[in-house]
Amino acid sequence: MTATTSVAQSPRRRFWGRMFKNPLGIFSMIWFVILLIAWVWPELLATHDPLQQDVTLQRLFEGPSRDHWLGTDQLGRDWYSRVIFGAGYAFRSILIAMTIAVVVGVPLGLFSGWRGGRVDRAIMWVNDVLFSLPIILLAMAVIIILTPSLDNAMIGVGIAMSTRFTRLTRAVTLQEKEELYVDSARITGLSTRTILARYIAPNLLSSLIVQAAIISGAIILIGATLSFLGIGASLDDPDWGVMLNRSRELFRVEGVWQVVPPGMALILTVLSFNLLGDAIRDAIGRDSSNNALSITKRTAVTAATTPHATGPDVVLSVRDMDVEFPDQSGRVSQILQGVSLEVRAGETLGVVGESGSGKSMTMLSALGLTPAPGRMTRGSVQFGGRDVTNLTESEWQAIRGKDVGVIFQEPIAVLNPAIKVGRQIAEPLMIHQNLSKKAALQRAGELLAEVRVPDPVRRLDQYPHEFSGGMAQRAGIAMALACEPKLLIADEPSTALDVTVQGQILDLMAEVQERHKMAIILITHDLGVIAEAADRVLVMYGGQVVETASADDIFFRPKHPYSRALLDTMPQSHDGHGELPVIRGMVPSATAWPQGCRFAPRCDFVTDACTNDMPALETIGGDLVRCVRHGEIQLVPEEEMQA
Amino acid sequence: MSGSAFFEVDDLHVHFASRAKLFRETPPPVKAVNGISFSIEPGKTFGLVGESGSGKSTVARAILQLVDVHAGTIRLDGDDVTNVPRPKELAFRKKVQAVLQDPFSSLNQVHQTRRIIGDGITRHFKIKPGPEREQRIINLLDEVGMSTEFLDRYPYEMSGGQRQRVSIARALAVEPELIIADEATSALDVSIQSQVINVLQRVQAETGVAFLFIGHDLEVVKHVSDDVGVMYLGYLVEQGDADAIYEGPTHPYTEMLVASIPMPNPIMQASRRELRQSFNNDAEPPSPARMPPGCPFENRCPVALDICREEMPEPSPAHHGGQVRCHLHTSGPELGGESVVEFIKTEARGQVAV
Repeated sequence: MTATTSVAQSPRRRFWGRMFKNPLGIFSMIWFVILLIAWVWPELLATHDPLQQDVTLQRLFEGPSRDHWLGTDQLGRDWYSRVIFGAGYAFRSILIAMTIAVVVGVPLGLFSGWRGGRVDRAIMWVNDVLFSLPIILLAMAVIIILTPSLDNAMIGVGIAMSTRFTRLTRAVTLQEKEELYVDSARITGLSTRTILARYIAPNLLSSLIVQAAIISGAIILIGATLSFLGIGASLDDPDWGVMLNRSRELFRVEGVWQVVPPGMALILTVLSFNLLGDAIRDAIGRDSSNNALSITKRTAVTAATTPHATGPDVVLSVRDMDVEFPDQSGRVSQILQGVSLEVRAGETLGVVGESGSGKSMTMLSALGLTPAPGRMTRGSVQFGGRDVTNLTESEWQAIRGKDVGVIFQEPIAVLNPAIKVGRQIAEPLMIHQNLSKKAALQRAGELLAEVRVPDPVRRLDQYPHEFSGGMAQRAGIAMALACEPKLLIADEPSTALDVTVQGQILDLMAEVQERHKMAIILITHDLGVIAEAADRVLVMYGGQVVETASADDIFFRPKHPYSRALLDTMPQSHDGHGELPVIRGMVPSATAWPQGCRFAPRCDFVTDACTNDMPALETIGGDLVRCVRHGEIQLVPEEEMQA
Repeated sequence: MSGSAFFEVDDLHVHFASRAKLFRETPPPVKAVNGISFSIEPGKTFGLVGESGSGKSTVARAILQLVDVHAGTIRLDGDDVTNVPRPKELAFRKKVQAVLQDPFSSLNQVHQTRRIIGDGITRHFKIKPGPEREQRIINLLDEVGMSTEFLDRYPYEMSGGQRQRVSIARALAVEPELIIADEATSALDVSIQSQVINVLQRVQAETGVAFLFIGHDLEVVKHVSDDVGVMYLGYLVEQGDADAIYEGPTHPYTEMLVASIPMPNPIMQASRRELRQSFNNDAEPPSPARMPPGCPFENRCPVALDICREEMPEPSPAHHGGQVRCHLHTSGPELGGESVVEFIKTEARGQVAV
């Protein structure tokens, strides 16, 4: 489960936002724009004619001066202007080589990847041979066939570079053609050409742009190399490579300065193309801040006002917990508001609600794991009677590893695919219980046997991929049980499993709870699972607790309209084939909670009072309910009341 | 099966060849679908239910021409549509559409709703983008309960439920005769799932389109279907009227499936749990790559007979009017035409041998 909180932002805006936040990106973009102007309109930047010679002796090999900003060369020509005009040669090279590379490489890669099979293998074989030839060799071959000129050399470079684009395009096509949206396009009946051009190609664009930026740098470098070797641009052209070559011949006599202007132009340009490529890649990349597992630094937490649950059997007690998340623009949304819960030894607390209701976030925050940049701003947490609200991360680690076990939705994802299952179970035992490796492995075998994994000793030696989903979840439970925790948190433990396996896992959890008398917090969206396993239920909506009650009360005497609505939408609650009851609309986003009761826009019992103020969490008997109308509305049908 | 049905799948087999290995014997092909037969009447819904690895999605992909059929025939309106040749593909696509599982990856992220729905209209009705196409798109959006403000939305600007509605509108755009819904509601929250199911049922009532509704949740499949088929490891183990099968399953696997659906009612769930636990022997289904010679459910079956280890049973008539593939009904003890349920309850723990 993930708590998706940020509203969707257009990728284009996000892209430019990130580009302008990256200093190297800004530098490369500025340099790129200067080069572009120098190419399109060199007269705007240049101070002299690049070919105009000033042969009065004292003007040769001049250092930088007010008249010649970068000095003059051996013929008294203005270095600065020559470098500016050189940009045109560089861009012309890129234009020729890149056009050929893209026009040849991309369609070939698309075709090859889409067709697959023998055609693909043949194309890739030829491609790989070309790929392994030195680029300069190919350029020379073209020059030999045609006439020596920078443009002709660039045709050869373009052909060589097309192999890079073929490989990239093919790789992306192979991957994209397995995507469901491509299946959908085929099912719609679109032609292969349309699918390739309008479905796959746009998804290719981002990788191509990155590749093109980096290859552009390489093309400039190759062009300069060829010119430097005397087989590119002609000797008088203001080409950076030619300039560098001429300077090299003279710099022993006339000093190092002569190499600096063309050399710097070349270095800065190639560097900026590479940096541009990196910046684009970073800006396109997935929003890594959303799934970062970094934990927020502790900050001052406002104390809770509600007293904690007391008693020797209270394992975890949370009071008045607020958690806030700043979004990219710095606006703060409150993900959790005033969440309170407690769970006792031997008891299973079911936490239920739709995606985005804050179920998983509640558990993470209660255990000091609020993902960055979120933070707990108010509230108090007690674990085993001890105040743990302000513990440091290392203090928390000592508690979490030993006294809290966690079972996740995707057991396979939790197991490291490269490490044998036995070692993964044994590791925490070696750390937290100081067992030797041998003893820990033996205990791991016992644990696998306890969760009824057949043939446990052999299984210890297997890798996670050799486990089915159900067996992996058993191994996950074994890991969670390893240090005999006081609290077991199960976040959708059976959702990803087949329904016939789900029952086995729930039975197993009940069995280990019975044996170890641990407290279980069971997070699920499935009220059927709640009915099976929970003693008490906490219903969450919009980052708040809306109702807590015993399992029987939630199912037979719900007090909050949301609890009732959740029950009604279950297809199990409904015989026949008619229209299913729904909860209209959808879960609100944390950036825009509705005014007043957060469920009001979707509630069938809404009145003006509901939308004015947020209802308080009221105590009725031992239960809690957050609804201003809880006393007056009839949520249980007459016939059921009598039954 | 009669040859007159609107849509008919007859003895369908789909095998996936294993990759040839250097210096090693090529492993036998994985038999993903083994001799499946069913038919759908116009305007009706056939539900296909099974767990992961049962081959239910492969059936959908075979019908949709996304994987090759190894043996068997698929017929639509009397025409053979098994491995449709290129020139006839467009006509086939016009008749059969699909709504796929994952609302996140089944829509192209770079296209707006208008384009997603409109592409099929342009392709099949030769209506270029313009007022006429726009009006059709708006009507389709209206049909799935969405307003015109969604025309310019990209998939990432919509919720899972909204995306699935767009998928339905896209399928409806070509006015198909059959829509295959492959786990179309599985990724959605229960409350949203109900909304989407209602949309599907309303669409069927209005347009008379037939559905092949594939899912892992028997409760949902039963709700939307007239008939259901239950798949286990590539075999259709039971099929017939949806309500009759749910009320009186005749295959032990179907019974196990029903018993495994948790009820949102602690009292009913307590009795379901008891029934479920009578099945529970912690055995794993066999790997599709190494299928046993007999019935693949044999190692998990509480009432397995000796013959079950040796040969796969053939379909036989079941009391609910459908068919069942289980030796219990042909070689087993007399059931007196009764559901296997009571039999399992009373005899299960003793492991009957006949």
